[in-house]
Amino acid sequence: MTPKKHQKTNASNFDRGGEDDDKRRGGLTRRRACRFCTDKNARVDYKDQATLKYFVTERGKIIPRRISGNCSKHQRAVAKAIKQARGLALIPYLVLQG
Amino acid sequence: MAETEHRAAPRVREYETIFLLSPDLTDENVGIVKDRVRGIVDRNGGKFLRFTVWGKKRTMYPIGKQSRAIYVQAHYLGGTSLVAEIERNLRNLDAVTRFMSKRLADDADPAAHEPQDDLTLGGDSDDKSPLGSPDRDDFSRDDDASDDESSDGSDPRS
Repeated sequence: MTPKKHQKTNASNFDRGGEDDDKRRGGLTRRRACRFCTDKNARVDYKDQATLKYFVTERGKIIPRRISGNCSKHQRAVAKAIKQARGLALIPYLVLQG
Repeated sequence: MAETEHRAAPRVREYETIFLLSPDLTDENVGIVKDRVRGIVDRNGGKFLRFTVWGKKRTMYPIGKQSRAIYVQAHYLGGTSLVAEIERNLRNLDAVTRFMSKRLADDADPAAHEPQDDLTLGGDSDDKSPLGSPDRDDFSRDDDASDDESSDGSDPRS
């Protein structure tokens, strides 16, 4: 039985895009694992500023999951928690610099 | 038989409400607000579990022209009408500047949750290094995730 042409044999489990994405990322970076999936004790909590600060930039913007490495489920939870924390003034909406 | 009784009973959920109080309130006035919320829960068939006073903390942006606020967290069991009644009262109080309610669990068992003593935390220890200060010293990240955002042309703060 011969393998099909489009069948990937060495595709990474973490990479959905294949070779094109590797070239776009330089081919040297490896996709991060979701920290909430790897650590079962870690939970997304809008009151936990120490955890949420890793998912916002210095300007207060939400970091996309292609950089933070979150899975889609936990990225949605993190984004929701950040927005709730902003409403309670635990996290800023915007940080003006300069 | 027990299942049918359980279905007939109104659904009890677990909620928490965090509200911000004006920073110039005394402990007595904070206690008055707490008693009012506790009374609402008791009158509306809920079960109050605990108050957690986070203390006076610096807010990340001014609220009501104040840069600090007293954070109070109320933890209780009840129904949806109870939450609406609490929020209606909080909206009418001048001392409350902001509030937010959140459902923690569906189908909470009131027998499994016992009321606990109120907890009081210290809040910010000093004004120089408050939690989440606007100068964002505690928001500096040591990983490379900020490289994508640092290309906005603004000079990094020294």
